[in-house]
Amino acid sequence: MTAAAPIATKHKIFSPARVTAIASNTLLELVRLKVFYFLLLFALLIIGSSFFTSKFTFQEQFQVLKDVSLGAMSIFTWLLGVLATAMLLPKDIEDRTLYTILAKPVPRFEYLLGKFLGVLLLLFVAISLMAGVFLVILYARQQDALANAARLVPANALQEQLADIRAATFNKNLLPGIVIIYLKSALCAALTLLLSTFASSSIFTIIMSVIVYLIGHIQAIARDAYLASQTTTALTKAFLAIVALLIPDLNSLTLVDDIVVGNAISMVLFVKTASLGLTYIGIYFLVGYFVFSAKEL
Amino acid sequence: MSTPAISIQNLTKVYPIPFKREKVTAVQDLSLTVEAGQVYGLLGPNGSGKSTTMKIVLGLVTPTSGKTEIFGRDSTTVESREDVGFLPENPYFYKYLTGEETLHFYGKLCGLSRARIRDRSKELLKLVGLEDAAARRLGGYSKGMLQRIGLAQAMIQEPRLLVLDEPTAGVDPAGSREIRDLILDFKQRGITVLLCSHLLEQVQEICDRVGILDHGVLIREGVLGDLISIENQTEIILENAPPELLAQIREMIGKSSGRLVAEHRPQKTLERYFLDVTGPKQS
Repeated sequence: MTAAAPIATKHKIFSPARVTAIASNTLLELVRLKVFYFLLLFALLIIGSSFFTSKFTFQEQFQVLKDVSLGAMSIFTWLLGVLATAMLLPKDIEDRTLYTILAKPVPRFEYLLGKFLGVLLLLFVAISLMAGVFLVILYARQQDALANAARLVPANALQEQLADIRAATFNKNLLPGIVIIYLKSALCAALTLLLSTFASSSIFTIIMSVIVYLIGHIQAIARDAYLASQTTTALTKAFLAIVALLIPDLNSLTLVDDIVVGNAISMVLFVKTASLGLTYIGIYFLVGYFVFSAKEL
Repeated sequence: MSTPAISIQNLTKVYPIPFKREKVTAVQDLSLTVEAGQVYGLLGPNGSGKSTTMKIVLGLVTPTSGKTEIFGRDSTTVESREDVGFLPENPYFYKYLTGEETLHFYGKLCGLSRARIRDRSKELLKLVGLEDAAARRLGGYSKGMLQRIGLAQAMIQEPRLLVLDEPTAGVDPAGSREIRDLILDFKQRGITVLLCSHLLEQVQEICDRVGILDHGVLIREGVLGDLISIENQTEIILENAPPELLAQIREMIGKSSGRLVAEHRPQKTLERYFLDVTGPKQS
């Protein structure tokens, strides 16, 4: 070993290997924090909801199960995305691990991308597990309903009843609905990452992220109310326009209501909703990068 | 003449104070050169600008004005860090990784091949004396072990320059001695070391050259021996000298123009004494 011959390979402007190393390490870091305990809570919640719906018709039972499950998936992934992302940068800065990483030939873009991809992987694993639990319970309930129908429904109406049960449980709307829940949580994670690039602590980042989440949900209602009012000034309109530009209407970034009531989700609606989510994820990440690239560490 | 390991020219860093018009000058018009193969000690009281200078060299902080280079490459570029290993003060690496996994992680960041990472990790774990702890998680490492794994990660891509910020802070004397020996070992291998430390005795032992910063200004700089030697005094240390010889020497001094300033038995350092009494017993 001598100092005369450095062994590092020629520096690449962008290295997927470096990003993968940071992303997989971030996933490992988050998994080691035992974040998946919330899955138990999720399973208990949707199993528990079954007890209260046993007197309902099967359509109502499936509706409630989907409503509770998809709603819980939406909230859990959002919470996970915000809490996991909020601690990443402050923790690395506080522990000075960030210094040891950026003192290696690692561009800040790759570091931030690796961290974000780690969170996206975590959210993917989490939503896949939750979707798995949800689909298994939905299947079990479907089998239960089919068995009951076979026992109770007269033979002449049985086939129709069985078809109704099948249609009320699994349909092609479920997958796009879950994908949009994932994208919404990824968007909230990207927003939290942006906030954490200039925030001074994880708590501040979490609070700001929650506030923005709430604004994202109520802004459409507020906008409609203000714009309908005769007394709204040009300044208020401009302010509302800026808020609408900076923060997406999070109410429009969900398909859960359509899935629950059984509305068909068109490809156009799915692509439009997904594009909105992806665009904001891209914008938040890039703005976060520009702030982080100029940050004095 | 070979390219200097670090070249700093007219470096100034000014930090604005948030919500105020005032500014703080952390480093002011600093120029210094660290030649390849040297161990350079950057000294100064707290807030003197040492850490800022180091961070600028590592590209973690942008200078307000001036230029820094690492082996001739602008230190603001990511490529310049191929030649640098850094150990920050009191580092906490990822606690859930083992010593070996930590080195693998940093090796991947440096773009090393899998086989090279494996070889390098083995070599470095041996060098820093952590072979037996390679499979243990860092959460269970002592302070001294963390510093040693920190040194190993800094060396993973075999850089030509090591930047060490208080490498022995919080480490017990035996651990401190081990780290010091490692630095001397790196020096023998021709690696340049930039060392920031408050432990002046240690700096004196290992550094070739020092720079002293105060309020962001380099107030003294030079070869350590030149800076601290007393020009008009000479020290002679005798072993087993009989009293008659000492009397003769005193008499000769009395007849000359010189003056005997002090005469005493040399003392070992407290650290040496501590290590002697707490170290492994000789059978």
